[in-house]
Amino acid sequence: MSKSRSSSLSTHAANLSSKTGANQSKFFKTFGDDIWKNKIEKVNAELFIMTYGVIVQQLCQDFNNDYMKINENLFSMGYNIGVRLIEDFLARTALPRCPNMIMTSEVITKVAFKVFLNITPVVDNWSSNKDTFSLILVENPLAEFVDLPHDAKKQLWYSNIICGVLKGALEMVQLDCDIGFVSDVLRGDASTEIRVKLNKILKDEIPLGED
Amino acid sequence: MGIEAILIINKSGGLIYHRSFDVSKTNPTGTTSKHSLNSNDLLILASTLHSVFVISSQITPKALQLSQSNLNYTIPYHPYVGVKNPEKSPRNSIPNKYGSFKGDDYFKEPFHSWNKSGLKQLSTDQFTMYIYQTMTGLKFVAISSTVLPSHNDSETNMMNNSGININNNSSKNINALQYNLGSQIADNLLRKVYCIYSDYVMKDPFYSLEMPIKSDLFDDKVKSLIDNLL
Amino acid sequence: MPHQQRYNNGSMTNNEAIERQRQYEMFQESLPKVNKILFQMILNEIIPLSVRIENQLTQGNEFQNDTKLDTLGDSSFDKASDLDNITKLKDLSINAKANSETHLGNISSPDDVLIYKLSQSVDENENKYNNILKRIRDIGIKIGTKLVNLLIFTNNINLNFKEMDLLLIMKFICRDVWKHVFGKQIDNLKTNHRGTFYLTDLEYPLLQSFCIETNTIPSQLNEEFILNKESKLVEPFLELPVGIIKGVLLSLGYPLDEVICLATFIDKPKERIKNSFPKGISFHVQITKSFLPQQQKQ
Repeated sequence: MSKSRSSSLSTHAANLSSKTGANQSKFFKTFGDDIWKNKIEKVNAELFIMTYGVIVQQLCQDFNNDYMKINENLFSMGYNIGVRLIEDFLARTALPRCPNMIMTSEVITKVAFKVFLNITPVVDNWSSNKDTFSLILVENPLAEFVDLPHDAKKQLWYSNIICGVLKGALEMVQLDCDIGFVSDVLRGDASTEIRVKLNKILKDEIPLGED
Repeated sequence: MGIEAILIINKSGGLIYHRSFDVSKTNPTGTTSKHSLNSNDLLILASTLHSVFVISSQITPKALQLSQSNLNYTIPYHPYVGVKNPEKSPRNSIPNKYGSFKGDDYFKEPFHSWNKSGLKQLSTDQFTMYIYQTMTGLKFVAISSTVLPSHNDSETNMMNNSGININNNSSKNINALQYNLGSQIADNLLRKVYCIYSDYVMKDPFYSLEMPIKSDLFDDKVKSLIDNLL
Repeated sequence: MPHQQRYNNGSMTNNEAIERQRQYEMFQESLPKVNKILFQMILNEIIPLSVRIENQLTQGNEFQNDTKLDTLGDSSFDKASDLDNITKLKDLSINAKANSETHLGNISSPDDVLIYKLSQSVDENENKYNNILKRIRDIGIKIGTKLVNLLIFTNNINLNFKEMDLLLIMKFICRDVWKHVFGKQIDNLKTNHRGTFYLTDLEYPLLQSFCIETNTIPSQLNEEFILNKESKLVEPFLELPVGIIKGVLLSLGYPLDEVICLATFIDKPKERIKNSFPKGISFHVQITKSFLPQQQKQ
């Protein structure tokens, strides 16, 4: 492949493997930004925040503040959304398969979160074997105007739907992960942190032909 | 390129969607062509295709597998495949809406092919078949009535993504280009079918994953995509 | 329905009105946004969620201890149907916390199973069915009431809540509420000026991606039956906008028991059927007469 051809393609996702780490990161950022700006129909965030708040409120009412059940239901809701949302994401972006969790984390924060929620969480707290990381949500659109009652503060993970969405989406691309909240500013913690741990790659489900 | 049929095969090799299009000019609506298979045959076709796909990834020559890093898996963008070209359509026509995809086309940049060593194209003397596989294991198949010139006087040729004809008949470079171009356009088209799928099938709460697709809306959108090719 | 001239109180010149309208639109543009797909998916998820909640609540009453629950939904939905066999999907392992704890049970049923079972349960367990519909409606009502709060504070010059009578409120619902939540306005509003209104939405956005099987149903079944079956499946989804309308009316002074709101399917004119859900929706809103005279004192 001639040099000139490769440079003209360098701005596109298809040529990802030839970029270095920092360039890759920058590329994902511009890629995500571009899709958000030009290719997505948007609604006001406050509507979304309000609707989600109503859902949590209804759950609290129905389960009589049994926060464990509420957490599970939020997760389950997110899971069902995630398995379907991933196809939309893939059809829209056609990004190549990530060779490791580092790139996965970049795609999740800079492209996925940007395209759907218009936020870019920070990736931190890598484990030594690079298969576990934390997403730090500097701004959490779901919880923007929320104040939790006292007993909820100890047990409810308000934005648990996000964990469900991530789990469903990653499972469909053959990554079996454990995803859960570690801390939440709504609970009085310093930051909102989601921990993502890769359990295993579902090798027998990887579509053949991808190596 | 006259598309005769579109098939979608799920992760486990089951056929979840089939639609044939009549290629003859006198009847451009989507009626079944005279060579249509019955539904049983189609299911067998789909699962056979799925297995052949798997097998072909195993028989990719070792030399190719080892030199993978040199291969370019980009599929260039062919503008307005299956979609009305806004420059050519009359000025005051209503802009088309492509579901949740804003703009005048589903996507506008070259993209990565997830199908590295699986079967991509099957050309025979009656039809050409193109396969596009997604990262989630779904296979989109297009059967086209255009017949690519054969490398020898007979039957079936198979090739993988690198565009190298397994028969290795290197004197036919022009043919290789034709093969590549056809495959690229088909990939563009099939990725758009994937976009339509993500809009109309994924957003439907009545649809069960991996099950046959019964959506009229999806049907209509695919049909209009194919119609715009002619 | 021209946007600017609606609720103009006459004290602004046309130019001022246009300028303030432009400012309002710029303000709206600058507000933080999220992806519309996500919003619509969450709205549609409310329905399976309500079914799941009902399953868990009734199951909690029936089983005293935490035994392993039926993975396909509530065991009282006993009617074995073909759907059960086809849609038995792999178990979804769901982690409630970061330190994995799998919890099996009807919470793991995928959405489509829940919705099909819901429509089947209409005859068997009417109480439960109505509970679920009520829950969906309640969520809609909450959304509606909060929505009015949001819209009051958006500083839209065209909305003048002090002088709104019932007709203007209904117009507010048709234009602003529908536009904000669903991205389009109600297509038609009819009234008898005595408290009864018909709102027609020919392309209700949350249903547009829905598909009902039409080509596998054996031809012996008559159309009536098919339409009935389809309607039953989609019915629960209509409770959400019904709730939203009631919620808006509630927060503008019309208590829930004074308002009747029902949604039905209507036929669409032939040209509009292509590429969308085949039926439109008509909302019949009726304010009970006893409440009306008080509102007319102004």
